[in-house]
Amino acid sequence: MHPALWISKTGLDAQQTNVSVISNNLANASTVGYKKSRAVFEDLLYQTINQPGGRSSQNTKMPSGLMIGAGAKVIATQKNHDQGNVQTTDNAFDLMIDGRGFFEVLMPDGTTAYTRNGQFGLNDEGTIVTPGAGYPLQPEIQVPEDAQSFTVGEDGEVSVRLPGQTDSQVIGQITITDFVNSSGLEPRGQNLYLETGASGAPQNGIASENGLGAIRQGSLETSNVNVTEELVNLIEAQRVYEMNSKVISTVDQMLTFATQQL
Amino acid sequence: MDQLLYISMTGAKQNMHSLAVRGNNLANANTTGFKADLENARSMQAFGPGMPSRVFAMTERPTQNFTDGLLKTTGRDLDVAIKGEGWISVQDKDGNEALSRNGNFTISAAGVLQTMQGQPVLGNQDAPIIIPLPVEKLEINEDGTIEIRPEGAPADALEEVNRIKLSKPFAGELTKGEDGLFRSTNGQPYQPDATVELVKGALEGSNVNPVQEMTHMISMQRQFEMQIKMMKTAEENEKATNSLLRLS
Repeated sequence: MHPALWISKTGLDAQQTNVSVISNNLANASTVGYKKSRAVFEDLLYQTINQPGGRSSQNTKMPSGLMIGAGAKVIATQKNHDQGNVQTTDNAFDLMIDGRGFFEVLMPDGTTAYTRNGQFGLNDEGTIVTPGAGYPLQPEIQVPEDAQSFTVGEDGEVSVRLPGQTDSQVIGQITITDFVNSSGLEPRGQNLYLETGASGAPQNGIASENGLGAIRQGSLETSNVNVTEELVNLIEAQRVYEMNSKVISTVDQMLTFATQQL
Repeated sequence: MDQLLYISMTGAKQNMHSLAVRGNNLANANTTGFKADLENARSMQAFGPGMPSRVFAMTERPTQNFTDGLLKTTGRDLDVAIKGEGWISVQDKDGNEALSRNGNFTISAAGVLQTMQGQPVLGNQDAPIIIPLPVEKLEINEDGTIEIRPEGAPADALEEVNRIKLSKPFAGELTKGEDGLFRSTNGQPYQPDATVELVKGALEGSNVNPVQEMTHMISMQRQFEMQIKMMKTAEENEKATNSLLRLS
């Protein structure tokens, strides 16, 4: 059948994926620590119909040929790890990384996941855990039951004040982890990321040292989704989708005309 | 059979080819750095013994539309667009140099600066650019030089590591290959050109003009219908001839 039908179909597919990516961004516009994604497009292979330089007669050659592209596709969804905005909450267990790095979280299967969502809480044993699933923050920190106050320094030092004592007591240290290529991390939902071959090995370190971000207590990092930008992208995707479906209906009309007339 | 039928058929077939070219442009209306293909038809004589009266149509893709696409600001450190004329050198899958306008880069785990399609970006001495990892901040300057701040270094410790090869070959000598990258047709090496300027944190959109493409599509559709009409006429003529010869 007509190649343009399939070419436009690839365009429709690509824009459909684009709309999914955009709608996922919009759905997570108020998810703490969410990083927006962007669909990356590529043109598909070109098919040579008439070879440039082919003979047009015994003595002459054609200066140009005919190469028809096979359409477009989405080759990647690229995460943008730009910093989100700061939202001050004044909750002692709300932590935010200002700069590079991720919090390390222990998964139930023993593997390590990474997150930028710092809305921590305590479980029944007093361990600092992620909200929702309750995965413990690494290295594990136990907050004594009778702690009067809970303080996290910029460098991740955790201290509490116990009743009857004037000085705070250090109970642990939150470390953060950075990756060479953070866009290579695999998002796995629940605001968590996993290490992949493309991300490079995790580099663990003390916050606000060696280029790692500082920890800010009482603040959260909002999603870095720019709603206006996403809506503009959505309009663009919709129009490109419409134009591609227009090509399909044009080809259809042409074929109808040919079959009915001849 | 009547030549008219065959000549109209080649016309209709070539119209379909043109429509495929336009369809591909529209499919890539959102592809970064895409250059729209142009298409035109040419008369082609059928050579051979006898009277050279048959002239067929043939669709060609003479060149691309090299006008600049619109710039989209992304704010990403590894996104660059070319201001005005110029090309970024990348390595194709055969290891040869090819040109691209797509400045959407990533760094692989091994530190190779590459396009999203995985083609290494070429720098000094036409060699792929390797970024000494780990880096805290990477800047691509307007002239293509890459500056990095190694992890843990003070804020002013930017060091220059390489320079993206930017060239400005004459657009008339460039052709798009089967992988969508551009190459020169005259085999001349691409000379680095210091006047090519980059825009940081932006990407060049596709330069497809949707209205133009759709207008062409409509005109192709009408032309196609005319060819079919001609074929229909050829059929009617044949019928008339047959009825003339019929006895009674």
